[in-house]
Amino acid sequence: MLDVLEQVINKVSLSSKDFLDIRYAYAMGESFTVRNGRFDSVSNQTTGGIAIRALIDNAWGFTTIVKTDKESILQAANKAIKMAQAGSKYTKQERTIGDGWVFEGKGATKIEIDPRDIDKETKFEKVIKTEESAREYSDSIAESSSTYQESHGKEVIVNNKGTKVENETHVIRLMKNIVGREGVKMQSIFDSIGGSGGWELVDSWDPEKEGLKAAVTAEKLLRAREPPSGKMNVVMDPSLTGVFIHEAFGHACEADEIIAKSSILEGRIGERVGVEGVNVYDDPTVDGLRGSFAYDSEGTEARKRVLVEDGILKEFFHTLETATALGMEPNGAGRAMNFNVTPQARMGNTYVDGGDMTIEEIAEVTKEGVYLKDSYGGYVMPAKGQFYFTCQMGYFIENGEITDMMGNVGMSGMTLEVLQNTFAIGKTWDPAFKGTCGKFGQWVPVTGGGPNLAVSNLVVGGTK
Amino acid sequence: MTSNEEFKDLAEFVIKYGKSLGADQIEAYTLFGSVKSVQIERGSIRRFTDTNNSGLGVRVIKNKAIGMASTTIFTKESLEKTVKDAYTLASVIPSDPNFKTLPSDTTEAPTISGRYDKDIAEISVEDFTELILEAIQEATIREDAIVNGNFNAGIGERYIINSEGIDRFASQTSVSGYLGVKIQDGEDIGKAYYYDAATLMKNFKYIKIGKEAGIRAKKMLGSKKIDTASLPILLDPDSTYGTIEPILSSGINAFSVFNKTAFFVDKIGDSIASDKLSIVDDPFVPEGTDSAAFDDEGVVPKKLSLVENGILQTYITDSYTAPLVGLENTGHASRGSFASRPRPAPYTMKIKAGTVSKDELLTDMKEGIYLMSSSIHSSGNNPQVSAQIDQGFYVKDGELLYPVKNTVIGCTIFELFNKIEDMSKETEDRSGHEAPWMLLSPLQVSGGK
Repeated sequence: MLDVLEQVINKVSLSSKDFLDIRYAYAMGESFTVRNGRFDSVSNQTTGGIAIRALIDNAWGFTTIVKTDKESILQAANKAIKMAQAGSKYTKQERTIGDGWVFEGKGATKIEIDPRDIDKETKFEKVIKTEESAREYSDSIAESSSTYQESHGKEVIVNNKGTKVENETHVIRLMKNIVGREGVKMQSIFDSIGGSGGWELVDSWDPEKEGLKAAVTAEKLLRAREPPSGKMNVVMDPSLTGVFIHEAFGHACEADEIIAKSSILEGRIGERVGVEGVNVYDDPTVDGLRGSFAYDSEGTEARKRVLVEDGILKEFFHTLETATALGMEPNGAGRAMNFNVTPQARMGNTYVDGGDMTIEEIAEVTKEGVYLKDSYGGYVMPAKGQFYFTCQMGYFIENGEITDMMGNVGMSGMTLEVLQNTFAIGKTWDPAFKGTCGKFGQWVPVTGGGPNLAVSNLVVGGTK
Repeated sequence: MTSNEEFKDLAEFVIKYGKSLGADQIEAYTLFGSVKSVQIERGSIRRFTDTNNSGLGVRVIKNKAIGMASTTIFTKESLEKTVKDAYTLASVIPSDPNFKTLPSDTTEAPTISGRYDKDIAEISVEDFTELILEAIQEATIREDAIVNGNFNAGIGERYIINSEGIDRFASQTSVSGYLGVKIQDGEDIGKAYYYDAATLMKNFKYIKIGKEAGIRAKKMLGSKKIDTASLPILLDPDSTYGTIEPILSSGINAFSVFNKTAFFVDKIGDSIASDKLSIVDDPFVPEGTDSAAFDDEGVVPKKLSLVENGILQTYITDSYTAPLVGLENTGHASRGSFASRPRPAPYTMKIKAGTVSKDELLTDMKEGIYLMSSSIHSSGNNPQVSAQIDQGFYVKDGELLYPVKNTVIGCTIFELFNKIEDMSKETEDRSGHEAPWMLLSPLQVSGGK
C-alpha cells in the first residue's frame, strides 16, 4: 500500500507551501458480551479506506474513499485539493504545515501472544466465568455482564513533505459490569483489564475472582451511606486521579483548542498552574497501555510530553498544524478514530507523577472529606475551565481516618484551581483509568493514572 | 450514492450467501451516507469535508445463536467474509433460549412527509457556506467574540432485508449545525452553544443558531459560585426534553426491563412521576429529524402514549425483547450504527404542556435555579443523579441574577420525576421534539462558594 500511496502523491502537483497527506487505515475487531447467562452481542467488525487531506491557501479539504486502487485515490486527492481551494476564499486565518518534520519508519504495538491465535473457546471462558461468578453471588445482582474486545489496526501515511510511515496497533480488553439492585436502590461496578498488546495482557484475569469481587462490592454499595454534598476535601484513588487529570487538565492542553481560542490554558505556557511538586505527563511510548502507539495518524513519531513540571505549564498536545501555528515542535498527538475522520490533537496515556505519602497519611492530613474511588467517566468545557467527573464509590474521611463506604457521586471543579489546591500526593502509582475518550464524535483508547491525590474545594454532588 | 436496485442486489446476495452457508435466518442492514461538512474556526472557514459513511451489518441465526459481523468495504470478497464471520460466530456460541425469530412484518410502511429535500441532497459547498457565513455574522455579537462550530448537510439511505420477508428502503436528508461563542472580559468568560437540525432546508434555523449562540454567550458572563442549598429548579424546553428523554429511554426500554436494570421495572399501570407528566412517543412526525416509517429491524412502529398523568402506560420493545416482557413488538428497534445489535429506543417524544405561563413560573420563584439547554442526567443506568449545571442561572425574586459555575445537582431520578411541580402552557418544538418549561420542587444543589 505504501508504494501505491507514494505513486499517487508523486503525481499530484502542489506548490511547496501546500500540504497533502494520504492515509490508508484498516481495522478489524472482535467482541463478545455475555449478559445474565446468555451471549448477548457477538460480532466481528471491519473498517477500511483511504483519507485524503489537502491544505491549500490556508483552508483544508478532506475526503474519503473505500476503494484502494491508484486511479481512485488520485481522483480523491484532486477532489480534496479542489475543496481546499474552494474554501480558501472564505478563510481569514493563516494555516500552513512546517517543512522540517519528515518521518519515515515502521512502528507496531509490542505483542507477545497474538489473540488471533487464541481459540474462541478460551476467550469465551473468560467472559462466561466472570459473568457467572458475579451473577451467582447473590439475588441482589440484577445484571451481570462481561465483555471481551480485541482490535487490530494498520495505518499507512504519506505526505508531500516526504513522510512515509506504516504503523500497526493492537488493543485488547476484558471488562465486567455488575449492577446490584434492591428496590429503587441501584449501584454499578465496572472494571477492566488490558491495553495495547496481546493476550498476555488479559491472561492473568482470574474470572471467578474478578466476577466475585465486583458482585461483593456492588452488594455492599446497596447498603452504603449516601454521598454528601457541597465543597470539600477530596482524596482520589489512582483511577480517579487518571480521569481527573484527563478531564481537568489534559483536554485544556490540546493545541487545536488553544488555536480555536477554546482553552483556558491559552497563553499560559511557563506560568504556574499547580503547586510545587505537581508533575503531569502524557506518554504514548509506554508499552502495554491503551493510549500507546509508535506513530500518530499524521505519521509523526510519538514521544513523551511534559505537560506540567513542578507546577509550571510546559507543553501542549500538537498536530502538525498546531505546532506550526504556535511555533512549537509536533509531539505525535494527531490521532484519528478511523479512515473517515481527520486527526485531532489528542491524549494518549496521561498521568500525575507519584509522591511519597501513604493513603493513611493522606487521610490524616485531610482530616475531614471523602476518599473517592474508581472512575465512571467525565467531561470538560475547556473554554470555561470547568470540568466534571464521576466515581463508582468512595469512603468518608472523618477525624483523619477512612470510615464508612458511600455510593457513586459526581464532582465539579475549575481547571485553574485544582492543581493549585493539591495538598497531598501519594506514593502508590497506577495507570488505573482505562478509558475511551470522545472528542467531536471521535473515540480513541486512552489511559489515565497517577497516585492517590488530595485536592481541596472540589464540589461533590451528593444528596445530603 | 447507490440506487435502490444496487442496494437490493447487494443485500439479496448477502441473504442468499448466508442461507447457502447454512444460516437458519439472516438479516442484512445497510446504510449509505454522504455528508458535506464545513468547519468554522475563529469566525471563518477552516475545512470543507465530503465523506461517505457507509456500511453493512449482518445478523446470522444458527440454532437460536446470534452472530454478527460488519464491514465498510463492499467488494464481493469482503461481503462474503462478513457473512462467513457472522455465520462462524453463530455456529460456535451456545443457543439463546430467549431468541424467538427475526421479524416478518409486511405491514405497509406509512408515508411521512418532509423526509427528503433536493436542496439539501444537491447543495454545493459554496451555497452551504454562504448561509453559514450569515450565521457566523449573527453569532459575532461583539468584535472580539470567538466563534467556532460545524455544519453538516447530507443524505442517508437505509436498506433492511431479512430471510423472513422484511424488505424496506428509506432515504432521508438532513442538515444540522452548531456554533459555540466565547466572549471574555478579563478573567470573566462567557461561553454558550446553540444547535439546530432539520430534514428540509426551509426548516433549518441557521440564523437562529448564530443569534442564540451569541446572545447566550453574553448572558453567561459574570458567572459566580453559589452556596450549597435546597432549591427549586426551572428548566427551559431544551432542558426539559434533555432531562426527561434519557431517563425514560433507560427507564422503559424492554431490554433493560427484562434485565431488571430499567428504572421502572414492573411499573406499567403504576405512578412513576407527578401527575403533571404526560408523554407521547410519535414515530411519524412530519418533517421530524427522528421520524421513521419503520424501525431498525424493518418493523412499522406505533405511536404510543408512554406516560399519562404520571402513570406508566407501556414499555418500548423490539422483536427480541417483546416476548420477554409479554408485550407486542412496538417497532422501537434502534441501532447506534450498522455494526450494532438493535435495542429499543424512543423516536420523538411530545411532553404535554401545563396551564401556567412560563413567565409566571419564573416570577413566582423566590430563590432557585433556571436551566438553559442543559440536562439533569445520571451516569449509566444508576438512578443516582449528580449532574453539573453547564448553563444555568441563579434566580432571586423571579429574576435571573447571574450564571452559576462549579455547581452540581444531586438527587435520584425517582425523586426528580416526583418533584415535577408544574409544566408551562407554552411549548417549544425542536425538529418534532416538543417540551414545555418544567418546574421542579427543591432539590439538593451543591455550590462551590
